[in-house]
Amino acid sequence: MAKVKYNYCKELTKGILKENPVLRLVLGTCPALATSTSVVNAIGMGIATTMVLICSNIVISALRKVIPSKARIPSYIVIIASFVTIVQMLIKAFVPALDESLGVFLPLIVVNCIILGRAEAFASKNPVLVSAVDGLGMGIGFTAALSCMGFVRELLGGGTLLSGTDTLLSAFVDLGSFRGLDFNTALESIGLSPMTIFILPAGGFFVFGILMAVVNKISEKKGLKRAVLSGCEGCPLASGCSKLKEDDAQ
Amino acid sequence: MKFFIALLVMGILTQNFTLSKFLGICPFLGVSKKLNTALGMSAAVIFVMLIATAVTYPVNMLLINYDLEFLQTIVFILVIAALVQTVEIVLKKYVKSLYNSLGIYLPLITTNCAVLGVVILNIDNISIYSAYNYGFLHSMINSFAAGVGFMLAMVLFAGVRSRLETADVPRFLQGLPITLIAASIVSVSFLGFAGLVEGMGLM
Amino acid sequence: MKGKDIKEIIKTALSLFLICAVSAGLLAGINGITAPEIEKNNLLKADETRRTVFPEASSFELSSAPDGTAYYTAFKDTETTGYVFTTRAKGYGGEIEVMTGINTDGTISRVSILSINETPGLGMKAKNESFLGQYNGKSEKLSVIKNGSPSENEIDAITSATISSSAVTQAVNEALEMYNLIMSGQEE
Repeated sequence: MAKVKYNYCKELTKGILKENPVLRLVLGTCPALATSTSVVNAIGMGIATTMVLICSNIVISALRKVIPSKARIPSYIVIIASFVTIVQMLIKAFVPALDESLGVFLPLIVVNCIILGRAEAFASKNPVLVSAVDGLGMGIGFTAALSCMGFVRELLGGGTLLSGTDTLLSAFVDLGSFRGLDFNTALESIGLSPMTIFILPAGGFFVFGILMAVVNKISEKKGLKRAVLSGCEGCPLASGCSKLKEDDAQ
Repeated sequence: MKFFIALLVMGILTQNFTLSKFLGICPFLGVSKKLNTALGMSAAVIFVMLIATAVTYPVNMLLINYDLEFLQTIVFILVIAALVQTVEIVLKKYVKSLYNSLGIYLPLITTNCAVLGVVILNIDNISIYSAYNYGFLHSMINSFAAGVGFMLAMVLFAGVRSRLETADVPRFLQGLPITLIAASIVSVSFLGFAGLVEGMGLM
Repeated sequence: MKGKDIKEIIKTALSLFLICAVSAGLLAGINGITAPEIEKNNLLKADETRRTVFPEASSFELSSAPDGTAYYTAFKDTETTGYVFTTRAKGYGGEIEVMTGINTDGTISRVSILSINETPGLGMKAKNESFLGQYNGKSEKLSVIKNGSPSENEIDAITSATISSSAVTQAVNEALEMYNLIMSGQEE
């Protein structure tokens, strides 16, 4: 059998740019909107999702020849849910502050379409190492998109940047007295206050919309298609979607 | 009784599941193009939310009884997935008319984070450490309110989108960007309900 | 043909069962490692939050009021320095849980917010020291005013967040009441 050579570098970067899960494939919009109220939250969510993505991709890829095709989806769900629970327990034990700020969206990583989507579209067809790289790339892409939104929303809506860094990182590195940047006093001195609306849900939709417009513009320049709302094409469970499409076409 | 009404008002208006908690955004953006599909999808969501809550409540009791709370996520998602499949099969076989109107949305619902979300939020509130300490009835009403809130958001947004179709949108905003910005404005309008529960003297 | 079907069903069920069993085992193992850590975190956090209202206290002890509600007595070495009460009130976005430290002379040592879910940038400002600091040293029943400068037993509300401010004040008042109840019980 001819050995397929994988371009690991390409598999890694495609998730970050060309096939960015949030900005190009429009997947995982719920956590993207809900947890991007600050950069630290966004990075925390990104790391948690990336961990689950890499682990589930590795296991699913390793078991791809063992799992009978009929038991595929339930098996994937069990594997993904296990890793989500593991990540959840680790975060609760070692970074409790992050657990509080992510709240219900931590267990909801289970239903993040990106993870099941990659399992079905990539890990179930490719060997272990390249699946892990794919998971890492997609995870970085997800984290980057969330951080972009978090940066804009935190700066405009809260007048701070990287606030709460200490709570996220104190378990790993000593940051000294760094607590993030706070521009509120500077703003107040010139009679301004942050635009709270950007932290509220409405601001999340708005920032996401503008970011999509910018990404679309860049994609068009590079000769790529604009991102369209595939909505559920990413999730393998969404067989009903095709029926919906027919319904729409009528 | 007051608390029940408060739960309904909170779930539907002040803390709308979709527009202020960001649960169920995928279908909110994906299937809100036409009023019919929006209605069908949200009816199916309400249906599944209620059944899922009714089933996971005793299951959670069982887990707590055996000190297995750490299995919650995995058990709940499996219960929901199995439930959706069963409901689909039963409807297809026995209630053909309902299947024709709701059936096609059912497979989409397993990965709808609103369903797992409402189940987890209910369970969190059942704990004696929580401020609310939900019982079975509270959980059911909360789920119902969450579902109706989702439906309201879907229906309103379907209306907004049908107007958008004919609007002259600048090229760089066409498609998804303008849809998201419209969602943002709908979400702003829901901010107006803030304080309603307290204002009505329900809490 | 029939036998093949059954064989496939068994194979599918068996592999699903195996995956579930391995997952559950793995989770149980990791739970065993993390559970004590999580428990420790919760305890540490509880003691640490109590210390935010009594920074100089060295230890806390669980006590219970005549009406059965639990509170903590703060000790500095062996001497009682005050009492810690946890009270709740309905705010704008749900319940606000407030911890109040009251010195032995009846004045408030400090107030801190345990859980709050108000509007970010508005009601959430109740967590700021500029608001909570107002309670320090007060001892009588407090009320909230919207504008003007607050007098002795008044608290200046956060701009555009009167409901949240009132809720916190209501919770603090409840703590003061509980303190008085305990004190009157001790004198008899």
